[in-house]
Amino acid sequence: MDILVYGIINSITLSLLSLGFTLVYSISRLPNFAHGALYITTGYFVWLFLNSLGLNYPLSILVGIALTSFIGAMIYRLILIRIRGMEISEIIATYAIGLAIVEGLRWGGLRGSTFTLPSFASGSREILGVNVDDQRLLVVVVGFAVFAILYLFVHLTRNGLALRGIAQDERAAMMLGIDSDRMAIVAFAIGSSLAGLSATLILPLGNIVVEAGYSVLVFSVAVSVIGGLGSWPGAIIASFLIGFAQILTEKFLSTHFQMVIALLAIIITLLIKPSGILGRQKELEERV
Amino acid sequence: MRKRFGVSVGVVAVVVLLMGFTGIAPAAEKPIVIGAPLATAFLYGWDAERGIKLAVEEINAAGGVKVGGKNHPFSVEVIDTRDLEPGVPVSDALLGLEKLILDKKADFIVGGPVRSEAALAAMDLLHKYKKVSILTTGALTPAYHAKVAENYDKYKYCFRITSHVIVMANEFVTLLSDIKKGHGFNKVYIMVQDVAHARGGGEAMKKMLSASGWEVVDMKIFPTGTTDYSLALNDVAKKQADIIFLWMDMPESAILLKQWSGMKLRALPMGFVNAAEQPGFWKATEGKGEYLIVNLVNGGNAPAKITPWTMKFAAAYEKRWGLEPEGYGTSSSYMAVYTLKEAIEKAGTTDADAVIKALEDVNIMGVYGRISFDKKTHQIIPSDDPKLGAVTGIIQWQKGKRVQVFPPKVAEAKILLPPWMK
Repeated sequence: MDILVYGIINSITLSLLSLGFTLVYSISRLPNFAHGALYITTGYFVWLFLNSLGLNYPLSILVGIALTSFIGAMIYRLILIRIRGMEISEIIATYAIGLAIVEGLRWGGLRGSTFTLPSFASGSREILGVNVDDQRLLVVVVGFAVFAILYLFVHLTRNGLALRGIAQDERAAMMLGIDSDRMAIVAFAIGSSLAGLSATLILPLGNIVVEAGYSVLVFSVAVSVIGGLGSWPGAIIASFLIGFAQILTEKFLSTHFQMVIALLAIIITLLIKPSGILGRQKELEERV
Repeated sequence: MRKRFGVSVGVVAVVVLLMGFTGIAPAAEKPIVIGAPLATAFLYGWDAERGIKLAVEEINAAGGVKVGGKNHPFSVEVIDTRDLEPGVPVSDALLGLEKLILDKKADFIVGGPVRSEAALAAMDLLHKYKKVSILTTGALTPAYHAKVAENYDKYKYCFRITSHVIVMANEFVTLLSDIKKGHGFNKVYIMVQDVAHARGGGEAMKKMLSASGWEVVDMKIFPTGTTDYSLALNDVAKKQADIIFLWMDMPESAILLKQWSGMKLRALPMGFVNAAEQPGFWKATEGKGEYLIVNLVNGGNAPAKITPWTMKFAAAYEKRWGLEPEGYGTSSSYMAVYTLKEAIEKAGTTDADAVIKALEDVNIMGVYGRISFDKKTHQIIPSDDPKLGAVTGIIQWQKGKRVQVFPPKVAEAKILLPPWMK
């Protein structure tokens, strides 16, 4: 039973971590390699507002996420817009931005294990006979809520439909008057705020360390590649595959193979189905 | 004439003032350069740097190092080796060390490399450039001093002024025997990080605890950067372990303690836990790390009354850096500079072979007990009595403070159990 309970928790956590990366790629076809850096930046912002500026916790979170969202939008508006379409340059630019942010935080003093965010819930309870701490349950509940809100947003709102339109066929959407660059800015803002939201939920479980910026990026890329680049449902399925594979690895093999599993899954996916689980458009291109 | 005298007095006053501000000794001879290769983004790096700099400032303010009748100040060159990052980038650490020797012209090496893998690899470089090194932080592998013993002529440049895995494991076994007697515990669950010293420590503990009547119910190895320990902690509960024995130097081990407290597991956590060493651990975990027992490797890494110098050092550190001695690497790095000064002065030269001989003969009462090295292994001689050798600093977090609980000769309080274990 612990495999089921912790498999679900781990999978939802991975989904939350990677959702922003997948969303940005699906709309703008830009791989945001600064995703992990934005994740850790939000944690640092919230810590700063809480401890240095003395704001209350909810306000610190809101301002932290809003600021990260703004930074994400500006990354596109000021930098990526100039190199859009040049795939290698896009990868190099986003990776360089991420690297600069993460190493900048380290240089600026974000080091050690004393940077932490308070937990929203500190107790634990039995779920199906398995002891689970409340903060992790909160991650699961908010995770499902985010999936639902995102689904409603892209199916029922004007901006959401525009985002889907761009994701499905950018040229056709532009012919219908949808501004591709504006939508990319919106996608970067939402993707970055999703990175921020996941940070405020997951970081209170431990501490804010810059290295997390790199591991979040690795997991996000793994989930996206396996799910099919740009496919949201694919990303969620991939999160569950990797999430359960990691828990099974820990249970029956050894904990220190967890990262290996994620990387191995990427290699196997690229060998068997390079377009990923639900990467249909790419699959058609591959056949041609 | 009076005007010229006034100007001269003014110039002298300015020079004296400037010397005061820069901490340079009045007799400004050529400085003796200490190269410090340290992973400065991590506790074991930055606290070592602070320890080294504090000692250097104190020594320079007191006149520097006397060599051949002249006072030479120490100067410090620090380089970030980054060797505590996931993936253990040994090559980066070696490049850093070589840069210290070749570019910064370091006369001696004090500090790291910090990760055991990197420290072992660095031994050949120290031999190549004939640089005397005092390892003060990080590397805990017994292979370090074993290499010196196996090939003395090649590795005689390498000294270690801090403890190692086998000594620490013995200390833990003794402490656990006391706990076993007091509380009737007999099951241990071991969790270690996937790095050389931690795997070594875990394996050593497994053997030694099994041999001393404990039942080791499981041993799990976690990669550096692990952020979820739920499954393993549930396993601890299932297997009804009394003790969770930890050997980890990654900041993420704080997560484990938070989860342990959240689950209210009936198992007392103890071990070598980097994240729990710092004074800020209490606030960072919102007090959830209370009752954790941590080995700080050397005494004096938290305030304690071990020798007359211990509290003096703690006060000086707090005055200089604004917080208590932080953790493993603080007191040993501070003492390494004083030990080096003693050896250079006794040798009367900075020549490597003469300083090696003087270090082998060193015998001073330091911050964490008597400082002396085994002549064959160049490993500091440990003891549970500060009058005889270097003592450890095993503390328990009690009401927001790090309280020395072992060895008995310098313990300041008894070990407490969390309320849900009573």
